[in-house]
Amino acid sequence: MQDTIEREVEIAAPVDRVWALVTEAEHLGTWFADAGAEIDLKPGGELSLTWAENGTSRGRVERVEPPTTFAFRWASVGEFSEENSTLVEFTLSEHDRGTRVHVLESGFASLPKSAEDQVAHHAGNTEGWKIELGHLAEYAERSAA
Amino acid sequence: MISPAPDAEVFAALADPTRWQVLSLVAQGGGATATTLAGELPVSRVAVVKHLGVLDRAGLVESRRAGREVRFAARPARLEETARWMSGVAAEWDDRLARLKRLAESAGPETATEQEAR
Repeated sequence: MQDTIEREVEIAAPVDRVWALVTEAEHLGTWFADAGAEIDLKPGGELSLTWAENGTSRGRVERVEPPTTFAFRWASVGEFSEENSTLVEFTLSEHDRGTRVHVLESGFASLPKSAEDQVAHHAGNTEGWKIELGHLAEYAERSAA
Repeated sequence: MISPAPDAEVFAALADPTRWQVLSLVAQGGGATATTLAGELPVSRVAVVKHLGVLDRAGLVESRRAGREVRFAARPARLEETARWMSGVAAEWDDRLARLKRLAESAGPETATEQEAR
């Protein structure tokens, strides 16, 4: 099993338009996140993606080569750091008068060991609390048995 | 939408092709031992023992002592959990890319404004 995910989509729109949608904050904040985004579009620039229900994820821009290559690291859960992040690489190419978008997300194997640790760092993550409460319930049941 | 990754040890354990083979052989059942596995693989018994140790720590195999031997069996739950999580991440990308496609192909006012701006 590899720690990468690859996905592809073909879009009936010119590469320039798709490039804009993939790299500009006002668009990223609607199709990637759902409650806004901020991006400093240059290598090393900061990235933030906000979801109405899940709060903000932070990242860092790695590569910007218009209109074909855009890459960033991001921490989908928890604080952003080199270790606690995966690399997302978008590759755009012309295809049949439209655009082919290829996405490769990699680096899941280097994420911090304990999922619970990550969740604990993610303030406001209600899912995390559910997990914690689940463990507590399990613990309580075991103790009672 | 945002879910924590499963134990990264599972990925790390499976990243090595020989270890994959060890796990596959163990999963075929029959109470494999380090010795029988070494007989089926182009690596030493010592190497097999190390791989089994990594798989054990990642929760992918379990061992049980039978007389003088230690027999190994696969624990599919962890692998299934990781596979499920990975397909969840893949499904998130499918959703995102579908939204991107819709947005790019829509001829709404947003498109017009953007084309004017160019």
